[in-house]
Amino acid sequence: MIEGIMANILWLVFITLGGALISWGVHFIPVGGAPAAMAQATGVGTGTVQLAAGAGLTGLVSAGFMMNVTENLPLILASGAVGAMIMISVTMIVATWVYVYGVGCVPSSAKVKTDPITKYRQDIYVSQGTEGHGIPTVSFVSGVIGAALGGIGGGLVYYSLIEVGMSIGLTAGVTPDVVGNSLVGVAAMFAIGIFMVNAVIPSYNIGGTIEGFHDPKWKKWPKAVISSLIASLLCAIVAVIAILQLGGI
Amino acid sequence: MSVGGSGGGAKGGYPPQTIIALGIIGGLAGIYLGHFMPAAYSFFGGIGAICATVWGADAVRRVASYGLGTGVPSIGMLALGMGTVAALFGLSVGSFAGPIVAFIVAVIIGIVIGALSNRVIGMGIPIMEQAMAEIAGAGTLVILGLSVVIAGSFDYSTVVHNVVATGYIALIFIIGGMGILHPFNASLGPDEHQDRTLVLAVEKGAIALIIVGFVSSLNEGLMAAGVNILIGIIIWYVAFMKHYALIKRDAYQVVGTGLLPSAEELQ
Repeated sequence: MIEGIMANILWLVFITLGGALISWGVHFIPVGGAPAAMAQATGVGTGTVQLAAGAGLTGLVSAGFMMNVTENLPLILASGAVGAMIMISVTMIVATWVYVYGVGCVPSSAKVKTDPITKYRQDIYVSQGTEGHGIPTVSFVSGVIGAALGGIGGGLVYYSLIEVGMSIGLTAGVTPDVVGNSLVGVAAMFAIGIFMVNAVIPSYNIGGTIEGFHDPKWKKWPKAVISSLIASLLCAIVAVIAILQLGGI
Repeated sequence: MSVGGSGGGAKGGYPPQTIIALGIIGGLAGIYLGHFMPAAYSFFGGIGAICATVWGADAVRRVASYGLGTGVPSIGMLALGMGTVAALFGLSVGSFAGPIVAFIVAVIIGIVIGALSNRVIGMGIPIMEQAMAEIAGAGTLVILGLSVVIAGSFDYSTVVHNVVATGYIALIFIIGGMGILHPFNASLGPDEHQDRTLVLAVEKGAIALIIVGFVSSLNEGLMAAGVNILIGIIIWYVAFMKHYALIKRDAYQVVGTGLLPSAEELQ
């Protein structure tokens, strides 16, 4: 068991880093929660975990898809990042349509006076009694950055777990059999478990809502990243041992 | 998304120790009975999962009453995230002691994440460490219990081939998480009562047993699957009627609104 961990120390480090990247990425995603669902806060109207998991798991799938055709790590991570970015962009643009054409409010941030990217005035468009509404440009850009980090993190975790399995002679190829592939199943499930843990820890750190990297709460990210590093390391050790045991069955 | 309770501890009802004992003993007993008895008795795993779901829902109720700052669903997802990691690890190294090893590992991961949330992130919830350990343990037992229903055993290779590689673990992940997070999320508020929340957890656990009962026909044959589904439906019906009775007890008044008026009546 100890030799197994020592032999896979590089992959352990990668899994831990992947977890920390996911945790950092969540801080960029404009999460509005229930207030945003009523157009009373900036961001998409659902919780951190749902948004981060939606984007991150799409990244995981697209990273896994790329692993069918190449072993090249940068390409796999790029595929994961792009998959997650597309997912979050689609979510945010459709939410913006709903806010603008359905609810009838102007995308605006209550946390800054002018949008740091477009330099447009924000405060005069914020409805009274609300914390902003819709998804202004800076939050959109921030969300795309966050999804990229989450996708890279998720891809890194999944790739490392698959490599641990490959190192003991398991295959991750496509099988024509309906029952699927044990290594892919176990690695994907561990990646999802690690992803969920690292999506919830930062959501407790930001306490429900965040607008993006211009939000004052964003500066709290080191706390969540340190927590995620420790939690991911623990999960990574457990995951690597479980995958090494797959060789014996 | 709701932010949870009012900022104080949960009150009333059965003490936490009773529910913890029910969850651990009931959960582990169900998992072991489901494993050692013939395939037709794999529903014991589901009953174990229901006990663990009730325990998890009670732990969520106690910790989320302090107000998590974010939605109650997050803690259910965290429970099943920790649970999956611990369950697969426990089965891989533990052989016959697998569920117990998984449970202990889950409690350790839970305590670490609870301590990180309180000390590093600074959530300031006094029972965070204990509650996280409980939620992780309950999540693990739910996953193991439902896996035993599908595979008929908790042997690592059987579970990997019949539950994980086929992808049914994702189904377990969501329906198990739903059973833990939904009862308090649906019942929270000033009129929340423990018995109503926990009966809802039983009902959610029974739905999970019905769904995995369908899946179990792949590995255990139609007879065993039929027994699983039938037991699930019976438990669901009893729990649903009990929940409805408790809703009527707690509601100020229950009135019938009748059918929607037709177009002629509106004119």
